[in-house]
Amino acid sequence: MTEPHIELEDLRVTLGKREILRGLNLQLRARTVGLLGPNGAGKSTLINTLLGFWKPTSGTARVMGHDVRTQAREIRALIGYMPENDCFIANMPAISFVRLGAELSGLPSEQALERAHEALFYVGLGEARYRKMGAFSLGMKQMAKLAQAIVHGPKVLILDEPTNGLDPQARTRMIKLILEMRDLGTMHIVVCSHLLRDIEETCEEAVILKAGQIVHYSNLEAERASNRRFVEIETEGDDGTFADAIELLGCVCSVTAGKIRTVLPEGIEIRDIYRLAAARDIQLRRLNYRRDSLEDIFLKAMENREAVSGRL
Amino acid sequence: MAVYKRTYKSYAGPLTSPSWRFLVLQRYAFRSVFKSRMLLMGYMACFIPGLLMICVLYLNQNASVLALIGQKVGVFKINGPFFLNFLTFQSVLAGILTAFIAPTLVAPDLVNGALSLYMSRPFSRGEYILGKGSVIATLAGAITLLPTMLMFIVQSSLMGWNWMLDNFYLATATLFTSAILLAVLTLLGLAMSALVRWRIVAGALILAVFAIGKGFAAMIDNVMRTTSGDYIDIQHLISTVATHLYQVGYPDDDIPIVAAWITLFAICGLLLMILNRKLRVCEVAG
Repeated sequence: MTEPHIELEDLRVTLGKREILRGLNLQLRARTVGLLGPNGAGKSTLINTLLGFWKPTSGTARVMGHDVRTQAREIRALIGYMPENDCFIANMPAISFVRLGAELSGLPSEQALERAHEALFYVGLGEARYRKMGAFSLGMKQMAKLAQAIVHGPKVLILDEPTNGLDPQARTRMIKLILEMRDLGTMHIVVCSHLLRDIEETCEEAVILKAGQIVHYSNLEAERASNRRFVEIETEGDDGTFADAIELLGCVCSVTAGKIRTVLPEGIEIRDIYRLAAARDIQLRRLNYRRDSLEDIFLKAMENREAVSGRL
Repeated sequence: MAVYKRTYKSYAGPLTSPSWRFLVLQRYAFRSVFKSRMLLMGYMACFIPGLLMICVLYLNQNASVLALIGQKVGVFKINGPFFLNFLTFQSVLAGILTAFIAPTLVAPDLVNGALSLYMSRPFSRGEYILGKGSVIATLAGAITLLPTMLMFIVQSSLMGWNWMLDNFYLATATLFTSAILLAVLTLLGLAMSALVRWRIVAGALILAVFAIGKGFAAMIDNVMRTTSGDYIDIQHLISTVATHLYQVGYPDDDIPIVAAWITLFAICGLLLMILNRKLRVCEVAG
């Protein structure tokens, strides 16, 4: 098993008199992890705590084995952060902005310039790199923020609402870039977003926060795999015994409103259902895999009040 | 890698020393400050008084030139008040310069949330203040401390070793007066820019701190018939310290010198507190 890149142990953070994070336990190992939750769930506080902007009240948080309490500087050297809000210097050209970020991360001036060019080309701002950022569109600013976050080659990339304000074309490009970076395998990516579709498209795992607690963690890959085993069947000409016949194959079945819902065990495939139907001369009018989307998972998690410990 | 290869790769090259990374900010800030030709010309003009004074020091000891205008060597008395007056004049220029420069250093970072660019990297708030502050301190120091010290060196070279030893207090006075002046100007410039964020208003506020402080001080002094109002007049506090260091006649009814030093340090502390509060990436709401 790979080492976790982010570890939280009973992490509590209090801001003012309000406890924002309430005893988070988590180990993140996946290449891309989505951080979900309604407003005020504590997502931004968690990110700010990982970056060392807030100190934990109790418990620990570690990034790549470094403690946020005592090794914030080392952690920041490993992290690339794309904030949700505006982050630009209006009268500075994009190339200088990204280069400044690289130099502050410790890259020598010349390498920083070279990397800034590369990063801006990579995010699609190559032609606009000498333009002042104040004249950029929202989408271009988002891309410039991504460029400054990756310019120094971070080990952990934190993207806070990366597709905010992007048109569909720009959004597709952003998602493509995230997937490309994920597939390169040189960094772990944490995507914090309200848009479930973004998380679904880019992440292997999702952590759902609510009121400062982890209410659900989901291995999206495993969910997708399990969805493929859950089948809904509508039949014509069934005298009510088809469900029993399916159960004889070893499946667990339930029948509601004329629909048979079943989970296929290992060794049983869809073609076995077709064979059974053919043998009994039953028409299969509809056969669907369950599509338990992240939205369903999210909504279920929001109903669930009990916090869970996420060992990912 | 060539720029046309649009792929991402991680970085495994050498890194610069963290101790000197604040100089990155300084370099970028200098470049940004001197983009304005007007400011550059104004700044160059600030060196003219210093050059003129060095010429005066030279001519003051040049018998043949003075003979042409019927004067003897040493027509000007080169002593504490001479240096103090020059430094006071240059300090006013430094104050105006700070009002122009400081807002351009901090405000652009705060207006559009660029502070998170700095703070999410291995770079602390202290280094940020050091990097930005060193720009003001360097530029203001070059028109206050540097020419005054040069004047002392020129006068010493003209008058000889004995004059230098007898008047060494002028050098130390210049050093300490400039140090407290630069500290106050730097912190005031940064704090006001962080507080207001709007360039023009921040610049005006920096100048207003001096003017308003002076006005209130005079009002308190007149109404209460005391000198306690002087504690809020930064200009007066620095002047008190400088007067003492340059051994110029010190008025009896002025505030005690120790109290002036303590108040100036307290003002610096207050300005640092403002910076610490305002230079945050995220703040607690409510």
